[in-house]
Amino acid sequence: MAADSNIAVQLIQRAAAQDREAFSQLYDRFSSLVFSLAMRMLRAQSDAEDLLQEVFMQVWRQAGSYSQERGSPEAWIINIARSRAIDKLRAIRRRDKSFILTDDPAAAESPDNVESAVGESEAKLAMNSALANLPEAQRRVLELAFFSGLSQTEIAERLAEPLGTVKTRMRAAIQRLRVMLGTQAA
Amino acid sequence: MAREHEHWTEQGEIFALGALDGREGEDFEAHLAAGCAICEAHVRETRETLSVLHRALKPINPPGAVKTRLFDQIAKDNVVPIAAARTKQIAPWRKITGALAAGIVGIVIGGTYYRLHYEPRHTVYSAVINLLLDPVTRDHTLFGTGPTTQAKGRFLWNESGEGHIFATNLPTAPEGKMYAVWTIAHNSAPRYVGTITTDANGQGGLHINSTRSEKPIETFAVTLEPQGNTAAPSGPMVLVSKQS
Repeated sequence: MAADSNIAVQLIQRAAAQDREAFSQLYDRFSSLVFSLAMRMLRAQSDAEDLLQEVFMQVWRQAGSYSQERGSPEAWIINIARSRAIDKLRAIRRRDKSFILTDDPAAAESPDNVESAVGESEAKLAMNSALANLPEAQRRVLELAFFSGLSQTEIAERLAEPLGTVKTRMRAAIQRLRVMLGTQAA
Repeated sequence: MAREHEHWTEQGEIFALGALDGREGEDFEAHLAAGCAICEAHVRETRETLSVLHRALKPINPPGAVKTRLFDQIAKDNVVPIAAARTKQIAPWRKITGALAAGIVGIVIGGTYYRLHYEPRHTVYSAVINLLLDPVTRDHTLFGTGPTTQAKGRFLWNESGEGHIFATNLPTAPEGKMYAVWTIAHNSAPRYVGTITTDANGQGGLHINSTRSEKPIETFAVTLEPQGNTAAPSGPMVLVSKQS
Protein backbone atom coordinates (compact mmCIF):
# COMPACT_ATOMS: atom_id res chain seq x y z
CA MET A 1 0.00 0.00 0.00
CA ALA A 2 2.87 2.37 0.88
CA ALA A 3 4.60 1.59 -2.42
CA ASP A 4 1.36 2.25 -4.29
CA SER A 5 0.98 5.53 -2.47
CA ASN A 6 4.55 6.54 -3.33
CA ILE A 7 3.93 5.82 -7.00
CA ALA A 8 0.78 7.94 -6.86
CA VAL A 9 2.69 10.77 -5.20
CA GLN A 10 5.23 10.65 -8.02
CA LEU A 11 2.46 10.73 -10.61
CA ILE A 12 0.95 13.82 -8.97
CA GLN A 13 4.36 15.50 -8.92
CA ARG A 14 4.83 14.74 -12.60
CA ALA A 15 1.32 15.95 -13.39
CA ALA A 16 2.18 19.19 -11.61
CA ALA A 17 5.00 19.56 -14.13
CA GLN A 18 2.43 19.23 -16.95
CA ASP A 19 3.23 15.59 -17.69
CA ARG A 20 -0.02 14.42 -19.27
CA GLU A 21 1.11 10.81 -19.49
CA ALA A 22 1.59 10.78 -15.72
CA PHE A 23 -1.79 12.43 -15.26
CA SER A 24 -3.33 9.78 -17.50
CA GLN A 25 -1.84 7.07 -15.30
CA LEU A 26 -3.12 8.86 -12.23
CA TYR A 27 -6.60 8.97 -13.77
CA ASP A 28 -6.44 5.26 -14.60
CA ARG A 29 -5.39 4.49 -11.05
CA PHE A 30 -8.14 6.40 -9.25
CA SER A 31 -10.98 7.02 -11.71
CA SER A 32 -12.93 3.86 -10.86
CA LEU A 33 -12.75 4.68 -7.14
CA VAL A 34 -14.00 8.20 -7.76
CA PHE A 35 -16.65 7.06 -10.22
CA SER A 36 -18.04 4.37 -7.92
CA LEU A 37 -18.22 6.92 -5.11
CA ALA A 38 -19.90 9.41 -7.42
CA MET A 39 -22.43 6.83 -8.55
CA ARG A 40 -23.16 5.90 -4.96
CA MET A 41 -23.62 9.50 -3.88
CA LEU A 42 -25.36 11.01 -6.90
CA ARG A 43 -27.15 7.92 -8.22
CA ALA A 44 -27.25 9.18 -11.80
CA GLN A 45 -24.64 8.18 -14.34
CA SER A 46 -24.55 11.51 -16.15
CA ASP A 47 -24.02 13.40 -12.88
CA ALA A 48 -21.37 10.90 -11.82
CA GLU A 49 -19.53 11.33 -15.12
CA ASP A 50 -19.64 15.11 -14.79
CA LEU A 51 -18.35 14.88 -11.24
CA LEU A 52 -15.51 12.58 -12.28
CA GLN A 53 -14.42 15.05 -14.93
CA GLU A 54 -14.64 18.01 -12.53
CA VAL A 55 -12.66 16.18 -9.85
CA PHE A 56 -9.79 15.34 -12.17
CA MET A 57 -9.76 18.86 -13.62
CA GLN A 58 -9.27 20.09 -10.07
CA VAL A 59 -6.57 17.49 -9.47
CA TRP A 60 -4.79 18.65 -12.65
CA ARG A 61 -5.00 22.29 -11.63
CA GLN A 62 -4.01 21.76 -8.02
CA ALA A 63 -1.43 19.00 -8.41
CA GLY A 64 1.32 21.47 -7.58
CA SER A 65 -0.25 22.31 -4.25
CA TYR A 66 -0.48 18.69 -3.12
CA SER A 67 1.84 17.54 -0.39
CA GLN A 68 1.88 14.30 1.55
CA GLU A 69 1.20 16.31 4.67
CA ARG A 70 -2.33 16.76 3.33
CA GLY A 71 -2.85 13.00 3.37
CA SER A 72 -2.37 10.15 0.94
CA PRO A 73 -3.10 10.81 -2.74
CA GLU A 74 -6.17 8.63 -2.50
CA ALA A 75 -7.54 10.46 0.54
CA TRP A 76 -6.82 13.81 -1.13
CA ILE A 77 -8.61 12.90 -4.35
CA ILE A 78 -11.54 11.26 -2.56
CA ASN A 79 -11.90 14.30 -0.32
CA ILE A 80 -12.15 16.52 -3.41
CA ALA A 81 -14.74 14.14 -4.88
CA ARG A 82 -16.84 14.00 -1.70
CA SER A 83 -16.73 17.75 -1.27
CA ARG A 84 -17.97 18.35 -4.81
CA ALA A 85 -20.56 15.60 -4.57
CA ILE A 86 -21.93 17.04 -1.33
CA ASP A 87 -22.21 20.44 -3.04
CA LYS A 88 -24.27 18.86 -5.80
CA LEU A 89 -26.42 16.92 -3.35
CA ARG A 90 -27.16 20.03 -1.32
CA ALA A 91 -28.06 21.94 -4.47
CA ILE A 92 -30.36 19.12 -5.49
CA ARG A 93 -31.91 19.02 -2.02
CA ARG A 94 -32.54 22.73 -2.12
CA ARG A 95 -34.11 22.36 -5.52
CA ASP A 96 -36.16 19.25 -4.95
CA LYS A 97 -36.52 19.33 -1.17
CA SER A 98 -35.39 15.78 -1.27
CA PHE A 99 -32.08 14.07 -0.80
CA ILE A 100 -32.33 11.49 -3.53
CA LEU A 101 -32.48 11.82 -7.26
CA THR A 102 -35.64 10.61 -8.83
CA ASP A 103 -37.81 11.26 -11.85
CA ASP A 104 -40.78 11.42 -9.55
CA PRO A 105 -40.58 14.31 -7.07
CA ALA A 106 -43.53 12.96 -5.12
CA ALA A 107 -41.80 9.66 -4.66
CA ALA A 108 -38.64 11.41 -3.56
CA GLU A 109 -40.50 12.84 -0.59
CA SER A 110 -41.40 9.41 0.64
CA PRO A 111 -39.31 8.14 3.56
CA ASP A 112 -39.88 4.63 2.24
CA ASN A 113 -38.22 5.59 -0.98
CA VAL A 114 -35.26 7.01 0.91
CA GLU A 115 -34.86 3.92 3.01
CA SER A 116 -35.11 1.58 0.04
CA ALA A 117 -32.53 3.59 -1.86
CA VAL A 118 -30.13 3.36 1.06
CA GLY A 119 -30.81 -0.33 1.42
CA GLU A 120 -30.19 -0.96 -2.24
CA SER A 121 -26.83 0.77 -2.06
CA GLU A 122 -25.88 -1.09 1.07
CA ALA A 123 -26.37 -4.29 -0.82
CA LYS A 124 -23.62 -3.20 -3.17
CA LEU A 125 -21.08 -3.01 -0.41
CA ALA A 126 -18.45 -5.68 -0.40
CA MET A 127 -19.20 -7.89 2.55
CA ASN A 128 -15.58 -8.73 3.20
CA SER A 129 -14.97 -5.15 4.22
CA ALA A 130 -14.57 -3.83 7.70
CA LEU A 131 -17.95 -2.22 7.32
CA ALA A 132 -19.63 -5.56 7.46
CA ASN A 133 -18.41 -5.92 11.03
CA LEU A 134 -20.00 -2.71 12.23
CA PRO A 135 -23.27 -2.87 14.11
CA GLU A 136 -26.12 -1.97 11.79
CA ALA A 137 -27.01 1.25 13.61
CA GLN A 138 -23.42 2.49 13.44
CA ARG A 139 -22.98 1.57 9.82
CA ARG A 140 -26.17 3.34 8.91
CA VAL A 141 -25.22 6.72 10.37
CA LEU A 142 -21.79 6.43 8.83
CA GLU A 143 -23.22 5.77 5.40
CA LEU A 144 -25.81 8.51 5.61
CA ALA A 145 -23.06 10.97 6.43
CA PHE A 146 -20.39 9.69 4.08
CA PHE A 147 -22.39 8.67 1.03
CA SER A 148 -25.54 10.77 1.30
CA GLY A 149 -23.76 13.88 2.54
CA LEU A 150 -26.17 14.40 5.42
CA SER A 151 -25.15 16.41 8.46
CA GLN A 152 -25.50 15.04 11.97
CA THR A 153 -28.68 17.11 12.46
CA GLU A 154 -30.19 15.89 9.21
CA ILE A 155 -29.40 12.30 10.11
CA ALA A 156 -31.02 12.71 13.52
CA GLU A 157 -34.15 14.09 11.85
CA ARG A 158 -34.14 11.41 9.20
CA LEU A 159 -33.80 8.57 11.68
CA ALA A 160 -35.93 10.26 14.35
CA GLU A 161 -33.12 9.73 16.85
CA PRO A 162 -31.68 12.20 19.37
CA LEU A 163 -28.71 14.14 18.02
CA GLY A 164 -26.55 12.85 20.87
CA THR A 165 -27.30 9.28 19.88
CA VAL A 166 -26.32 9.94 16.28
CA LYS A 167 -23.04 11.55 17.35
CA THR A 168 -22.24 8.70 19.68
CA ARG A 169 -22.89 6.16 16.96
CA MET A 170 -20.75 8.03 14.46
CA ARG A 171 -17.82 8.26 16.82
CA ALA A 172 -18.19 4.66 17.95
CA ALA A 173 -18.21 3.55 14.32
CA ILE A 174 -15.06 5.49 13.52
CA GLN A 175 -13.30 4.16 16.61
CA ARG A 176 -14.28 0.65 15.68
CA LEU A 177 -12.99 1.10 12.14
CA ARG A 178 -9.71 2.34 13.56
CA VAL A 179 -9.31 -0.75 15.69
CA MET A 180 -10.23 -3.09 12.84
CA LEU A 181 -7.94 -1.35 10.40
CA GLY A 182 -5.12 -0.89 12.86
CA THR A 183 -4.99 2.82 12.27
CA GLN A 184 -5.44 3.87 15.88
CA ALA A 185 -3.65 7.16 16.33
CA ALA A 186 -0.74 7.07 18.76
CA MET B 1 -5.87 21.41 28.02
CA ALA B 2 -6.20 17.64 27.68
CA ARG B 3 -9.91 17.83 28.45
CA GLU B 4 -10.31 20.67 25.97
CA HIS B 5 -8.69 18.58 23.28
CA GLU B 6 -10.81 15.61 24.11
CA HIS B 7 -13.78 17.78 23.18
CA TRP B 8 -12.15 18.97 19.97
CA THR B 9 -11.07 15.43 19.10
CA GLU B 10 -14.66 14.27 19.35
CA GLN B 11 -15.83 17.10 17.16
CA GLY B 12 -12.99 16.50 14.72
CA GLU B 13 -14.10 12.98 13.97
CA ILE B 14 -17.59 14.09 13.00
CA PHE B 15 -16.05 17.00 11.08
CA ALA B 16 -13.84 14.59 9.11
CA LEU B 17 -16.97 12.69 8.21
CA GLY B 18 -18.43 15.92 6.88
CA ALA B 19 -21.37 15.82 9.26
CA LEU B 20 -20.53 18.47 11.83
CA ASP B 21 -22.95 21.35 11.31
CA GLY B 22 -24.41 24.40 13.00
CA ARG B 23 -22.57 26.25 15.72
CA GLU B 24 -20.47 23.20 16.53
CA GLY B 25 -19.19 23.15 12.98
CA GLU B 26 -18.42 26.85 13.00
CA ASP B 27 -16.58 26.59 16.32
CA PHE B 28 -14.50 23.67 15.13
CA GLU B 29 -13.64 25.42 11.88
CA ALA B 30 -12.55 28.45 13.85
CA HIS B 31 -10.43 26.20 16.05
CA LEU B 32 -8.77 24.70 12.98
CA ALA B 33 -8.34 28.13 11.41
CA ALA B 34 -6.56 29.23 14.57
CA GLY B 35 -3.90 26.67 13.66
CA CYS B 36 -4.40 23.68 15.94
CA ALA B 37 -1.90 21.17 14.57
CA ILE B 38 -3.22 18.41 16.83
CA CYS B 39 -6.75 18.62 15.46
CA GLU B 40 -5.54 19.08 11.90
CA ALA B 41 -3.55 15.86 12.17
CA HIS B 42 -6.46 14.09 13.82
CA VAL B 43 -8.87 15.12 11.06
CA ARG B 44 -6.36 13.96 8.45
CA GLU B 45 -5.90 10.62 10.18
CA THR B 46 -9.66 10.15 10.53
CA ARG B 47 -10.13 10.80 6.83
CA GLU B 48 -7.57 8.09 6.06
CA THR B 49 -9.51 5.71 8.30
CA LEU B 50 -12.74 6.59 6.54
CA SER B 51 -11.16 5.56 3.25
CA VAL B 52 -12.47 2.11 4.03
CA LEU B 53 -15.94 3.37 3.19
CA HIS B 54 -15.36 4.20 -0.44
CA ARG B 55 -13.10 1.19 -0.84
CA ALA B 56 -16.01 -0.97 0.26
CA LEU B 57 -17.88 0.00 -2.88
CA LYS B 58 -17.68 -2.26 -5.85
CA PRO B 59 -15.38 -0.43 -8.29
CA ILE B 60 -17.16 0.79 -11.40
CA ASN B 61 -15.09 1.62 -14.44
CA PRO B 62 -16.20 4.92 -15.95
CA PRO B 63 -16.95 5.16 -19.67
CA GLY B 64 -13.84 5.87 -21.71
CA ALA B 65 -15.54 8.98 -23.08
CA VAL B 66 -15.07 10.74 -19.75
CA LYS B 67 -11.31 10.51 -20.00
CA THR B 68 -11.46 11.75 -23.58
CA ARG B 69 -13.58 14.73 -22.51
CA LEU B 70 -11.23 15.44 -19.62
CA PHE B 71 -8.15 15.57 -21.80
CA ASP B 72 -10.02 17.58 -24.43
CA GLN B 73 -10.94 20.08 -21.75
CA ILE B 74 -7.36 20.29 -20.57
CA ALA B 75 -6.15 20.90 -24.12
CA LYS B 76 -8.93 23.33 -24.96
CA ASP B 77 -8.72 25.38 -21.79
CA ASN B 78 -4.95 25.24 -21.80
CA VAL B 79 -5.16 24.70 -18.07
CA VAL B 80 -1.72 24.87 -16.57
CA PRO B 81 -1.02 23.01 -13.34
CA ILE B 82 0.24 25.07 -10.47
CA ALA B 83 3.85 23.91 -10.60
CA ALA B 84 4.07 24.60 -14.32
CA ALA B 85 2.59 28.04 -13.80
CA ARG B 86 5.28 28.68 -11.23
CA THR B 87 8.16 27.76 -13.49
CA LYS B 88 6.79 29.78 -16.39
CA GLN B 89 6.02 32.67 -14.07
CA ILE B 90 4.41 35.55 -15.91
CA ALA B 91 3.91 34.05 -19.37
CA PRO B 92 0.69 32.08 -18.74
CA TRP B 93 -0.86 35.04 -16.98
CA ARG B 94 -0.76 37.04 -20.19
CA LYS B 95 -3.18 34.58 -21.68
CA ILE B 96 -5.80 35.42 -19.12
CA THR B 97 -8.00 38.26 -20.17
CA GLY B 98 -10.20 40.95 -18.71
CA ALA B 99 -10.87 41.17 -15.05
CA LEU B 100 -9.01 38.00 -14.32
CA ALA B 101 -5.79 39.43 -15.67
CA ALA B 102 -6.39 42.67 -13.84
CA GLY B 103 -6.98 40.73 -10.68
CA ILE B 104 -3.78 38.75 -10.99
CA VAL B 105 -1.74 41.83 -11.79
CA GLY B 106 -3.20 43.46 -8.71
CA ILE B 107 -2.21 40.50 -6.66
CA VAL B 108 1.33 40.46 -8.00
CA ILE B 109 1.73 44.15 -7.32
CA GLY B 110 0.17 44.06 -3.94
CA GLY B 111 1.08 40.57 -2.93
CA THR B 112 4.12 40.92 -0.81
CA TYR B 113 3.26 40.12 2.71
CA TYR B 114 1.29 36.95 2.86
CA ARG B 115 2.30 34.86 5.76
CA LEU B 116 5.82 34.56 4.47
CA HIS B 117 6.86 33.17 7.81
CA TYR B 118 4.74 30.11 7.12
CA GLU B 119 4.31 29.70 3.41
CA PRO B 120 6.62 30.17 0.42
CA ARG B 121 5.42 33.11 -1.63
CA HIS B 122 4.99 31.07 -4.78
CA THR B 123 2.61 28.72 -3.01
CA VAL B 124 0.38 31.63 -2.07
CA TYR B 125 0.58 33.05 -5.59
CA SER B 126 -0.43 29.70 -7.02
CA ALA B 127 -3.30 29.37 -4.61
CA VAL B 128 -4.56 32.84 -5.51
CA ILE B 129 -4.27 32.08 -9.22
CA ASN B 130 -6.30 28.95 -8.66
CA LEU B 131 -8.93 30.97 -6.86
CA LEU B 132 -9.13 33.40 -9.76
CA LEU B 133 -9.29 30.63 -12.31
CA ASP B 134 -12.37 29.22 -10.64
CA PRO B 135 -15.39 30.94 -12.23
CA VAL B 136 -17.39 30.73 -9.00
CA THR B 137 -14.85 32.77 -7.01
CA ARG B 138 -16.33 36.13 -5.99
CA ASP B 139 -14.39 39.35 -5.63
CA HIS B 140 -15.62 41.72 -2.93
CA THR B 141 -14.41 45.23 -2.22
CA LEU B 142 -13.75 45.98 1.44
CA PHE B 143 -14.45 49.45 2.80
CA GLY B 144 -12.74 51.11 5.74
CA THR B 145 -15.00 51.88 8.66
CA GLY B 146 -14.92 52.96 12.30
CA PRO B 147 -11.44 54.16 13.26
CA THR B 148 -9.94 53.29 9.85
CA THR B 149 -12.06 54.87 7.15
CA GLN B 150 -8.95 55.25 4.98
CA ALA B 151 -8.42 51.48 4.85
CA LYS B 152 -9.35 49.51 1.73
CA GLY B 153 -9.28 45.90 0.76
CA ARG B 154 -10.45 43.08 -1.42
CA PHE B 155 -11.78 39.70 -0.48
CA LEU B 156 -11.65 36.84 -2.96
CA TRP B 157 -13.99 34.12 -1.80
CA ASN B 158 -14.88 30.70 -3.04
CA GLU B 159 -17.76 28.91 -1.34
CA SER B 160 -15.55 25.84 -1.03
CA GLY B 161 -14.11 27.70 1.97
CA GLU B 162 -10.98 29.07 0.33
CA GLY B 163 -10.35 32.77 0.07
CA HIS B 164 -7.79 35.53 0.08
CA ILE B 165 -7.97 38.94 1.69
CA PHE B 166 -5.84 41.98 0.82
CA ALA B 167 -5.73 45.14 2.90
CA THR B 168 -4.13 48.53 2.31
CA ASN B 169 -3.93 51.64 4.49
CA LEU B 170 -4.67 49.55 7.54
CA PRO B 171 -2.33 50.55 10.36
CA THR B 172 -0.44 47.81 12.18
CA ALA B 173 -2.54 46.44 15.03
CA PRO B 174 -1.60 47.92 18.43
CA GLU B 175 0.29 45.84 20.99
CA GLY B 176 -1.92 43.10 22.41
CA LYS B 177 -4.44 43.45 19.57
CA MET B 178 -4.98 41.66 16.28
CA TYR B 179 -7.07 42.02 13.17
CA ALA B 180 -9.53 39.13 13.08
CA VAL B 181 -11.14 38.17 9.77
CA TRP B 182 -14.75 36.99 9.79
CA THR B 183 -17.17 35.57 7.27
CA ILE B 184 -20.88 35.98 7.92
CA ALA B 185 -23.58 33.87 6.30
CA HIS B 186 -27.24 34.85 6.23
CA ASN B 187 -28.76 34.82 9.72
CA SER B 188 -25.60 33.22 11.08
CA ALA B 189 -23.02 34.15 13.65
CA PRO B 190 -19.72 35.54 12.35
CA ARG B 191 -17.18 32.85 11.76
CA TYR B 192 -13.50 33.48 12.45
CA VAL B 193 -11.33 32.47 9.48
CA GLY B 194 -7.94 33.91 10.38
CA THR B 195 -5.84 36.85 11.49
CA ILE B 196 -4.45 39.38 9.06
CA THR B 197 -1.32 41.37 9.85
CA THR B 198 -0.20 44.55 8.14
CA ASP B 199 3.24 46.08 7.74
CA ALA B 200 4.48 49.59 8.40
CA ASN B 201 2.93 50.69 5.09
CA GLY B 202 -0.45 49.39 6.12
CA GLN B 203 -0.41 46.54 3.62
CA GLY B 204 -1.15 42.94 4.35
CA GLY B 205 -2.83 39.80 3.16
CA LEU B 206 -3.98 36.42 4.26
CA HIS B 207 -4.78 33.24 2.41
CA ILE B 208 -7.72 31.43 3.96
CA ASN B 209 -8.22 27.69 3.89
CA SER B 210 -11.35 27.06 5.87
CA THR B 211 -14.22 24.76 5.11
CA ARG B 212 -17.47 25.19 3.28
CA SER B 213 -20.19 27.07 5.08
CA GLU B 214 -23.67 25.62 5.14
CA LYS B 215 -25.04 28.88 3.77
CA PRO B 216 -23.49 31.25 1.25
CA ILE B 217 -21.37 33.96 2.82
CA GLU B 218 -22.98 37.38 2.60
CA THR B 219 -20.60 39.65 4.47
CA PHE B 220 -16.87 39.77 5.06
CA ALA B 221 -15.42 41.82 7.89
CA VAL B 222 -12.25 42.56 9.81
CA THR B 223 -12.37 43.67 13.43
CA LEU B 224 -9.73 44.79 15.90
CA GLU B 225 -9.71 42.24 18.70
CA PRO B 226 -7.72 41.42 21.81
CA GLN B 227 -5.03 38.86 20.94
CA GLY B 228 -6.49 35.36 20.87
CA ASN B 229 -10.14 36.30 20.63
CA THR B 230 -11.56 34.10 17.92
CA ALA B 231 -14.90 33.20 19.47
CA ALA B 232 -16.94 36.19 18.39
CA PRO B 233 -16.19 39.75 17.32
CA SER B 234 -16.07 42.18 20.22
CA GLY B 235 -13.98 45.09 18.96
CA PRO B 236 -14.49 47.81 16.34
CA MET B 237 -14.99 46.86 12.71
CA VAL B 238 -12.18 48.20 10.51
CA LEU B 239 -13.06 46.69 7.13
CA VAL B 240 -16.37 45.44 5.82
CA SER B 241 -17.65 44.28 2.45
CA LYS B 242 -20.87 46.33 2.53
CA GLN B 243 -20.99 50.11 2.71
CA SER B 244 -23.25 51.41 5.45
